[in-house]
Amino acid sequence: MDNPLVSFTGVSKRFGQVWAVKSLDLSITRGEFVALMGPSGCGKTTTLRMLAGLEEPTEGTISIGGRVMNGVAAHERDTPMVWQSLALFPFLNVRENVEFGLKMRGVAKEERTSRAKEWLDRLGMSDFGDRGIEQLSGGQKQRVALARSLVTEPEMLLLDEPLSALDAHLVIRMQGVLSSLQRELGITFVYVTHSQSEAFSMADRVVIMGDGEIAQIGPPREIYRRPATRFVAEFVGRNNIFEGEARGNSLHSPLGTLPLPVTAFGPAVMAVAADRVSANRDRPGEGPSVKGRFLSEEFSGTSILCYFEGSDGSTIKAQVDEEALDLLAPSHGEVFWISWSTDAAHLVGS
Amino acid sequence: MSIATFASRLYLAAVFFFVFLPIGASVVFSFNSDRFPTLPLASFTFEWYAKAFSDDKIWDAFRNSVAVSLTAAAMSTFIGFSTAYTDFRYGFRFKAAYLALALLPPTIPLVIMGLAMLAWLSQIGLSGTLFGIIAAHTVLGSPFAMAVCRLRLHQMDPSLEAAAWNLGASEWATMRHVVLPFSAPALISAFCLTAAVSFDEFAVAWFVSGLNRTVPVAILEILQGNVDPQINAIGTVVFITSMTLVVIAQTIFMRRNRNG
Amino acid sequence: MATSSRYAFTWRLPMLIWQAAFFVVPLVFMAAISFWLVKNYRMEPDFILKNWSKMLGRGFFWDAYWITLWRASLAALVISLIAFPASYSLAYKVSESVRRWAVFFLIVPFFTSYLVRAYAWQVILAENGVVNAVLGQVGLGPFTMLNTGFGAMIGYLTLTLPLVIVLQTFSLSGVDRNQIEAAWNLGCSPLRTIVQVIVPSARVGLIIGAVFCFILTFGDFVSPFYLGGSKPPTLSILIIDTTKSGQQWPRAAVVALIMIATLFCTAFAAVSAAYRKRTR
Repeated sequence: MDNPLVSFTGVSKRFGQVWAVKSLDLSITRGEFVALMGPSGCGKTTTLRMLAGLEEPTEGTISIGGRVMNGVAAHERDTPMVWQSLALFPFLNVRENVEFGLKMRGVAKEERTSRAKEWLDRLGMSDFGDRGIEQLSGGQKQRVALARSLVTEPEMLLLDEPLSALDAHLVIRMQGVLSSLQRELGITFVYVTHSQSEAFSMADRVVIMGDGEIAQIGPPREIYRRPATRFVAEFVGRNNIFEGEARGNSLHSPLGTLPLPVTAFGPAVMAVAADRVSANRDRPGEGPSVKGRFLSEEFSGTSILCYFEGSDGSTIKAQVDEEALDLLAPSHGEVFWISWSTDAAHLVGS
Repeated sequence: MSIATFASRLYLAAVFFFVFLPIGASVVFSFNSDRFPTLPLASFTFEWYAKAFSDDKIWDAFRNSVAVSLTAAAMSTFIGFSTAYTDFRYGFRFKAAYLALALLPPTIPLVIMGLAMLAWLSQIGLSGTLFGIIAAHTVLGSPFAMAVCRLRLHQMDPSLEAAAWNLGASEWATMRHVVLPFSAPALISAFCLTAAVSFDEFAVAWFVSGLNRTVPVAILEILQGNVDPQINAIGTVVFITSMTLVVIAQTIFMRRNRNG
Repeated sequence: MATSSRYAFTWRLPMLIWQAAFFVVPLVFMAAISFWLVKNYRMEPDFILKNWSKMLGRGFFWDAYWITLWRASLAALVISLIAFPASYSLAYKVSESVRRWAVFFLIVPFFTSYLVRAYAWQVILAENGVVNAVLGQVGLGPFTMLNTGFGAMIGYLTLTLPLVIVLQTFSLSGVDRNQIEAAWNLGCSPLRTIVQVIVPSARVGLIIGAVFCFILTFGDFVSPFYLGGSKPPTLSILIIDTTKSGQQWPRAAVVALIMIATLFCTAFAAVSAAYRKRTR
């Protein structure tokens, strides 16, 4: 879109001697669900806090709706946030928590009460208005935190790892709540997480950050299928990395000469997703193959990840379904052929 | 119960007996008609209370003590809270020195504080005023108030303030609507505790009070004379006052701490 | 958030202003007047060393100094030893809630009218007081307990025992229980466990308890005056006498400064010893 809601231009943030964020450029359009993802210390939370005005950029400008926000205090912005700790006010009851933002903005009492009620209804918390915060379950607190942030009807909601304190089954439920809420309201969500499943299942676009810089921006599927850098390929996981020397159409790696999907020269890194490789016992499958010694298997509900050790000691991963594993029945130390089709391979920046 | 356990219980009981003996004895003696109390006790009497509270000087001393301790407690609590909040919220150069200055007063003997305050207040013309006592008691009380408030702030989610700013509250509004309500139990505890400190303090008050005696100074001056059971009567009232304050302070603080 | 400095200083300054005006400046001023001249019962700004030489050159000052130092050191040691079995029981032998209540009830007297409690002891320990009445029943005494070192020590116990027990209990509770159980498991006797495992682990807290005991007894004037008989006087009694009777504030200031110096050296030495030993 031509008119982004948020734009970061050359934004950097330094804490003491450390640059937490380095010349970041990012635009977010209205109604988009963007996830900022990366390992801890990658600068994703700092980026979010700068957007909320809780940190001031050291360099660069941030604008929201065309207005440059540098120097605008946190309380003068309309960028409500859902906190990792939820940060609900323990001395206020549920309704008073939800009303807080309206009260600070000078909304009259009757209107505050009715708007708080409306949002508590909407999030299925209508019976809990007079409860104390300590009397709520984790999921209920989450809903109160959402209601508290949304009651002022902002254009954008910031979420800082909001589901990290919840039990696994609640996480899935809350993901559903968040996704449908975002679609219904049509407002922008900026969602910080280190969890791939949260980012990939909800976001329209995922921003992968590493070491204070953006490593890749794109829709979840693109990030997964076409990781731009080795860092992304490794961070996203379930990718096999082959390193070597590209000589035209082939990659000369310690595991052997492997065909490349494109023509390249010089040092190169090739990624192949684990769910695009197959393991065979007696002979190589179709397409390029390497040998690997079976190490272990990891069961993760719907699929199984098998780990093999390549001849150079590197780890090779193959994702198989349960049926295939039963058929294969690998034993520890047994050598297999691991194969993929050339178009599953993908050359990444190093 | 093993012998060792029994012995350790007995020892604990003996220690508590020793600690509370003078308090209990004072209360008992205050109702005992003997001028030089001993065992067995003499007859029950209200004589010493009647005598103490028919004395205008004692009433003046109580009025002074109440005025001094309430004012000093309010000021100690404000200063202690501000210091605790500064420590909680900010990092800055010389912060260690700042905190050392805040916590140093209890390590200076009260007699020395008394002499220094007397010399200084005389120099600036405030010697013998209630303000002088209040000023000194505020210095003595604020480290306790700071400790109590700091412990409470330690339990506050550091995101709580940021969450309030994020919802449109300025820093001042956040103080009023978030930090102060959160700290309320500690503020009450600190107020009660510092009121007790001030209500009982006699050394500095004795040096700087001049004619404006507080209760402990009145006791001290009666003690300069001969044994006088009035002191037990006044002392019982003082015990009840300060113990009530300390118990309130601790109860509020402990209950809140357990509830998080 | 870029914090407003007006807001930050609103909270930072009250303590600085108040402590400067009514803590630091009075102490500095007291140091200054130790060099002032007293003429016709009035102080005059000057820079003379006479107050220092007069005080330090007198035998009675040094008598007072040594008795004060000796009593405070003895009190720190004796009271720590008396407190230890109680703290040990509270830390290891009772339930969490008993411990919490015990600490609760030990904090109450610490903030409660030391003066009146000392007076109560004066009555209890008198020649014809409660203790001698009880002892008389079993044919002992009467003993003279008031106006002796014993009387002063009872007063010091009243002043500091609850605080020392609370500090010791906290530091003993902090010792890793696994360590103690490991020692038992290895056949260490209870006494050896205390000496070789518990005391070294809780050393810092035990020393801090003793240091607080030293500071409080070193500066106390109530116990030595009303229970110890003030002969010889301690330094705090010397300050009071010099200030109240002779208007000799500069000489009292000399005594006060020497007390502060002694306290700081003792506290610093004790605490640094505590921490050095622990890291070895």
